[in-house]
Amino acid sequence: MVECEFPECTTFGSVIRFALELEKGAAAVYQELADNPGLSQAAESFRVLSAAHKKREELLEHTRREKLNEMILEPIHEIDSSEYIIETKVPEGVDLKGAAEFASDIEAKSARFYSDSSKVAQSLLAEAARILDRMGKENQANKEKLEAL
Amino acid sequence: MALLAEVQKDYGRLKNFVNGEWVESTSSKDIDIENPATGDIIGKCPASTADETKAAIEAAQEAWMAWRETPPITRARVFFRLKDLLEQEFENIARIMVQEQGKTIDEARGETRRTIENVEVAAGIPSLMMGYGLEDGAASGIDEDAVITPLGVFGAICPFNFPAMIPYWFWPYAVASGNTYIIKSSSQVPITQYYLFKAIEKAGFPPGVINLVNGSREVSDMMLDHPDMKGISFVGSTPVARYIYKKCGENGKRVQAQGGAKNSLVVMPDANLARTVPNMLASFFGCAGQRCLAGANLVGVGEISDELIGKFADASKRIKMGYGLEESINMGPVVSAKAKKKILEYIDGAEADGAKILLDGRNAKVQGYEKGHFVGPTVIDGVTPDMKVAQDEIFGPVVSYLRMETLDDAIDFIHKSPFGNAASIYTQSGRHARDFRYKTQCGNIGVNIGIVAAMAYFPFAGYKDSFFGDLHGQGRDAISFFTDRKVVITRWF
Repeated sequence: MVECEFPECTTFGSVIRFALELEKGAAAVYQELADNPGLSQAAESFRVLSAAHKKREELLEHTRREKLNEMILEPIHEIDSSEYIIETKVPEGVDLKGAAEFASDIEAKSARFYSDSSKVAQSLLAEAARILDRMGKENQANKEKLEAL
Repeated sequence: MALLAEVQKDYGRLKNFVNGEWVESTSSKDIDIENPATGDIIGKCPASTADETKAAIEAAQEAWMAWRETPPITRARVFFRLKDLLEQEFENIARIMVQEQGKTIDEARGETRRTIENVEVAAGIPSLMMGYGLEDGAASGIDEDAVITPLGVFGAICPFNFPAMIPYWFWPYAVASGNTYIIKSSSQVPITQYYLFKAIEKAGFPPGVINLVNGSREVSDMMLDHPDMKGISFVGSTPVARYIYKKCGENGKRVQAQGGAKNSLVVMPDANLARTVPNMLASFFGCAGQRCLAGANLVGVGEISDELIGKFADASKRIKMGYGLEESINMGPVVSAKAKKKILEYIDGAEADGAKILLDGRNAKVQGYEKGHFVGPTVIDGVTPDMKVAQDEIFGPVVSYLRMETLDDAIDFIHKSPFGNAASIYTQSGRHARDFRYKTQCGNIGVNIGIVAAMAYFPFAGYKDSFFGDLHGQGRDAISFFTDRKVVITRWF
């Protein structure tokens, strides 16, 4: 199980850090599911999702470095980070249905986080907001794929 | 949330970078470099001697002609390499800044980005430096051209508040346009430049083209006096800026000297407070108020005054203080015990003058950082224009709140200040915004923006006692400062 450290979301940097932790957690969970012999029928789907989340970490790092403008680094008070913390400990002996539900919860929480943080970022950094919004939509699409498993 | 890792705990005694080599200063005097959040000593800055400074200037002079003869596009390529190297070191540069200056990691990352942006803009030197000409411009058969030429050795004397960015307002433009350069960073925060010079070393500038001399007044005095120095860029307090301007004038040098500020943020009755208040928090408390573009006076106009101060003070209470390497921190410490003492004296003075301390940051404590120089967000109500807290540059997270009847009253108040660095208006009215930008005699004007920080391709302006000189740092102004126009009139028989 991967250890994630979710910060309070009070700054642009901490919002991106929270997102990086979400991606790290999701990528690790999917990898664990892909490696689970009992879920071999969905291993490839889980591997693809794990790789996608790892790639999103790079996008977030890029966003933090290039989309930040120190002129408008306003404090953030609108995001209650406790609402978006994901569970990364995969239940023991989980079957495919349970695994899909477990992962779907991660995608749902991530989708909400990105959608909500995108709204907050809209007033600060419109470019970053667009990226966060797109990521939330990807989570939503992932969730739908998982529900079809 | 855990702290981000420090790049190093201790940076040791810093070396100078002269003529392409790292050299130990022979000085017996060192200045401690303190982490303002922890109180730990994280390195030593040698107080380099006048002779060491002279050697750097001579190396730069020696390197000048060959660098001048290097085609602009070739010079630009070195800057492209430097940009790549700085991108690779991006996070380390930011974290070192937090360690030695105290700002938050977001602020430091933002500053690193702006540092790199100046390299990116300077890399456009072949276009930026083009001259102009006119066939038959002098007479029929006689052509006239103006070519832009570099001048020789320039240097920067830099402040503590932006350890990475401020030297980059100047030197990339100077060196890209064919000059050579000396940087003296602030002895309070020299590690960032020291680290940046490791990238400069790798980028491939020829020896002597760009040099770093650590130290204090002895270094500055040699730069101001040496006849090979063609010009000086300075950022710091107004008394020192005025001294440097005068000294450079006496010695026949070009000079651009940025001084202090006392910036007012004016809020009109039609302002969108939900958007205005968070933006003003960034202006007043960003970098713990230690920026020459920070808001200092908050001016409420007309009927909005009571609602504004209530909302602003409430929001200020939520600013989270701490060591900037924690990513959720909104505000770090001020740079030193001396700076803190001065700020507290101003707050005491305001109280003695009859103002009301609505939010008091004097006794701010941050658990685990008891040796840190923290001053909490401070909001002072009932300030009048004659009070020192309305007039003097405090350079800390202190907001002086003034109430005015009309926009013209607010502009008159701004004009009574000897400073003219920045001023902002918050309004939804185009008419108010237009009047404000037209009438206000400050170099940087914000409309619904509280930190009017010019991007690399615009000049960092400033009027009155906030700037001494003609041409500013960054962009085309910088190119003009570091070059001259040579007119060539040509006739062939």
